[in-house]
Amino acid sequence: MSPEEAPAGGGETAAARGDRPARRPGELVLAVATLALGVFVLVQAGTINVPGSTNTLGPRAFPYLVGAMAAIVGAILVIAVLRGKYGQEEGGEDVDAGAKTDWLTVVLLCVVFVVHVFTINLIGWPFAAMILFGGASFILGARPWWRALLTGLALGLVIQFVFGGLLGLSLPPGPLLEGVAIFRG
Amino acid sequence: MDNLSALLEGFATVVQPVYLLYALFGVFIGTAVGVLPGIGPAMTIALLLPLTYSLEPTAAIIVFAGIYYGGMYGGSTTSILLNTPGESSSIVTAIEGNKMARAGRGAAALATAAIGSFVAGSIATVALTFVAPVVARWAVQLGEPDYFALMVVAFITVGALLGTSVSRGLASLSLGLFLGLVGTDTLTGQQRFTFGVPNLADGINVVIVAVGLFAVGEALYVGSRLRHGPVRVIPVEKGWRTWMKRSDWKRSWKPWLRGTLIGFPVGTIPAGGADVATFLSYATERRLAGSRRDEFGRGAIEGVAGPEAANNAAASGVLVPLLTLGLPTTATAAIIIVAFQSYGIQPGPLLLQSESALVWALVASLYIGNLMLVVLNLPLVGMWVRVLQIPRHYLYAGIILFGALGSYALNFSPIDVLLLLVIGLIGFFMRRYGYPVAPMVVGMILGPMAEDRLRRSLAISQGDLSYLVTSPFAAIAYGSIIVLVGLGIWLQHRERRVSAELEKIAEGVRDAVATQEVSR
Repeated sequence: MSPEEAPAGGGETAAARGDRPARRPGELVLAVATLALGVFVLVQAGTINVPGSTNTLGPRAFPYLVGAMAAIVGAILVIAVLRGKYGQEEGGEDVDAGAKTDWLTVVLLCVVFVVHVFTINLIGWPFAAMILFGGASFILGARPWWRALLTGLALGLVIQFVFGGLLGLSLPPGPLLEGVAIFRG
Repeated sequence: MDNLSALLEGFATVVQPVYLLYALFGVFIGTAVGVLPGIGPAMTIALLLPLTYSLEPTAAIIVFAGIYYGGMYGGSTTSILLNTPGESSSIVTAIEGNKMARAGRGAAALATAAIGSFVAGSIATVALTFVAPVVARWAVQLGEPDYFALMVVAFITVGALLGTSVSRGLASLSLGLFLGLVGTDTLTGQQRFTFGVPNLADGINVVIVAVGLFAVGEALYVGSRLRHGPVRVIPVEKGWRTWMKRSDWKRSWKPWLRGTLIGFPVGTIPAGGADVATFLSYATERRLAGSRRDEFGRGAIEGVAGPEAANNAAASGVLVPLLTLGLPTTATAAIIIVAFQSYGIQPGPLLLQSESALVWALVASLYIGNLMLVVLNLPLVGMWVRVLQIPRHYLYAGIILFGALGSYALNFSPIDVLLLLVIGLIGFFMRRYGYPVAPMVVGMILGPMAEDRLRRSLAISQGDLSYLVTSPFAAIAYGSIIVLVGLGIWLQHRERRVSAELEKIAEGVRDAVATQEVSR
């Protein structure tokens, strides 16, 4: 899918094109990362232990192949990006092809996600789910905040009941719901 | 004829009420998530995989079969009724179907897509029934180097063709191959790329990678450039019985059959999956349209009927190499392999013998799922329209939540959820800079299998590399890479040219709509 196939309107496509020089550094970083991964795999492959009993092809050969492939493709990509050949970012029904990347949204979504990870065992899965769903939908534009949070809580409890209670997945219900039998498989 | 009796036994399994309910659940979920933008069948199966561990294999496989076909159906509804194209295989449907919907013929577009999918799905499933056993019998004779050659073909075609840029596809593939290396080497027991972390000794879980790339990565990417404001769905007239006029039937049935004829064979070879099939069908219909050619790009029913049929036929075609060779040629197929493996079943030439009951239950559930889908889809379109209108902030928050739940449920370890976020961020950057994510998933799953074949081949030949290419099949396979990639790249160029042409027409229409709205 190319952005040309999913413009929000004639005027905004030009804005998307004007955005292009701004994403040069990022794209170069990704190309260099591919090259670096290849070199890293090539170097690291040499340190893999080879037991004496191995006949012909040992555990190092395939990593060498993979490393070489990543390094070559990475080098080609670095050259392509430096010469001004950029990738076409993915389109989609909900992607505004004219919009610039909103980095704040990405960072905030990651923060909420990390908070979710660290609260699962602390306050139980349903409440950690409430934080993740409520937080993420608020960041993406749900208003008012309490409705997003309440929806998250309802969803968390329903999932806990269906998957924890009925299907027997051992999701921790948390200290608050510890004694409630329907949330535990 | 023993295939038929095996198939009948499969039907006997599937028509048990419990399994019918599972099939219904599968097609329902599959259609719902197929309708939702941003979610494809690969992601749905990856998300549901950890949650179905408590089911027995037959039930789980039936659910997955339903999701697979349902997802294919749902996508067309989205592209016809939303004003922007969605998943790549339905792009051409989006062009013609969306034009039809704008002209007030949305119901006819939905009907020809649904009935065409049913016709194609049914014929292709029959083809699968007869082709798969033949291929499996032939595949038993293949040696280790032949399998390795097949996998190399799959790597190259998947890497080069599943995306707009060959080098980016190959970069994505090599990243996947690297992730596949992490863990303990199966043949010598040596740890590779584990960095001394005990959690990595068993390797990185494919489910986390798939969910991270498809679900979290997608949600982050869409979130970063979300189209705000209400979701505009094109209204469809009520009363589904009168949807297709006699002239619509007359114009649709040939494209359905031609689409099936194109879709199934293209699906069976590793050549880029459904995208190529839909495009070929679209180009064929345009060429054969004669005096109606002018309608193409403005809402020609043939341009919906043919590609939709091709799309579904290709989806069944993909199952042939999947079930008989254990060779995934699309991301969805790769996830289905993971699903099989999680139940201790290894797809391959022996699958039809060792797990015959399961395979035929799967095939039978495809027939039944197809029937359910056409019955469900047309009358329920009002509901799917409502699903389409889910506020996007809730939709993507929900996708993230279910992704987190799926990877947490693998081992009930928060570390897995953190790893999911890391993979999701990688997926975000890949999407942003035009790296396709599907080759990464295929590479991760197929990589270890290919390494295994390669090392066993060379163990047999005692290190003689020429053994890899001397078998006639392997030689043909390597030769076909050049042909396949050449053909694929030529097709992509054509596709781009045609869609650029169509986009010009589309922009004209959009401008006209915009001026109308302003003047109002």
